[in-house]
Amino acid sequence: MHSNDAQMLVLTVLAERPLHGYAINTAIEELTGRKLGPGSLYGALSRLEARGLIEPADQVPEARERHRTMQITGPGRETLRVELEQMARVSRAGLSALGIAPA
Amino acid sequence: MRASALIAGLYPPAVRERWGTEISYEVSESGIRSWPNALTGAVRLWLHPSDWPETLTGQTRRVLAVALFAVTAVTALLMRATAPSDTLTADLGHPITSLWLAPILLGIGLASPLPRRHAFRRLATVTIRTLAAPTAAVLIMLLAANSGLIEHPTGFTNAALLIYYWATLAFTALQLCTLVARAAPVATLPTTRRLCAALLFIGTGLALATGQSLLTITRTAPHAGPITVTLTLGLLAAATIRAGHDLRLRQMA
Repeated sequence: MHSNDAQMLVLTVLAERPLHGYAINTAIEELTGRKLGPGSLYGALSRLEARGLIEPADQVPEARERHRTMQITGPGRETLRVELEQMARVSRAGLSALGIAPA
Repeated sequence: MRASALIAGLYPPAVRERWGTEISYEVSESGIRSWPNALTGAVRLWLHPSDWPETLTGQTRRVLAVALFAVTAVTALLMRATAPSDTLTADLGHPITSLWLAPILLGIGLASPLPRRHAFRRLATVTIRTLAAPTAAVLIMLLAANSGLIEHPTGFTNAALLIYYWATLAFTALQLCTLVARAAPVATLPTTRRLCAALLFIGTGLALATGQSLLTITRTAPHAGPITVTLTLGLLAAATIRAGHDLRLRQMA
C-alpha cells in the first residue's frame, strides 16, 4: 500500500478516538478488510508524528512507553478534512462518469 | 535473537524507541510473509530522515552524523579489500583516480561534531575511553608485523593473522562511529544544513567511486569481489544522495 494511503487510513481511524499501534491496525482491518504491514503502519505513524499530525495521548512519559496511544492533532484533523473532501470530489466525478448516482 | 526483534532493530533509533516492541510483536504474529513489508519500511525510513520523530532535541542530527561515519567506514573497508586497483585509489600519488575522496573528506568535515570550548576535558576522556582498545589492537598488529617473529606465515598462523587484521580494522571503524555517538552530548552537533550538504558531498564521492570501480570491472574479467564492491558503493551512493535530498526538501518546506 502507498505510504500516503497508509497515513490517510491511520488519520481516519484516529479521528474517531485515540488508539495504540495494534488497535489502529485492527480498526483499519475493520474499515478496509485487510491489515497494513508493519512497515507501512509504523512508517505512517512515524511520518505523521514527525509532521505533528498525531501525538501521544498519554502525557506521562511512563505511560507513553507502555502503551504509545496516539491521538490526532488539530493540524491532523485539518489535513484529513482536506484530503477527504478532495477524495469525495474525485469519487463524485468518477461515479458520475460511470452513470452511477452517488449514495 | 528472534527474527522479529532483529527486524525491529533495523529501524532508525527514534522509531525503534517508540514502536520497536509493537513492530516486533506484529512481525512475530504475522510471520515470514510480513518480513518484506517490515524490511521495506525500515529502508524507507532510513532514506527519509525527515520522517523521524525526535525523542530528544538533535536526535536526528546525531544519528545522521553517526550514519555518515558508518558509511565512510564501510567505504574505507571496501577500499582496503579491493586494493591495489588501477582505477580506484586513495593516495596523493594518484590524484586523478583518488579525486573521488575529496567530496567524501569534505562531507566528513561537515558532518563532524565540533568540540565545545568548555568541554575539551570531557571530550578527551570520551575519546580516550572509546579509542583505547582499538589503538591497542592496532599497536599489537604493528608490533607483530615489525618484530621479525612472523616472516612467512602459512596455514593456521596465516589465517589467524588475516582474521586478526580484518577484525582490528572492523573494530577500529566501529569504535570511530561509537566515538561520534558518545561525543555528541559534549560537542556541538552539525546543523541540518551542514548534514544535508555532507550527505550530498559523500553521496557524490561514492558515485564517483562507483563509476571508477565499474571501470575496473569493464577492463578486467568480471569477478565476484569487484562486482560486490561496485554494487555496495552504488547502493551507499544512492542511499546517501536520497537521504540528503530528503533533508533538503524538509529545509525548503
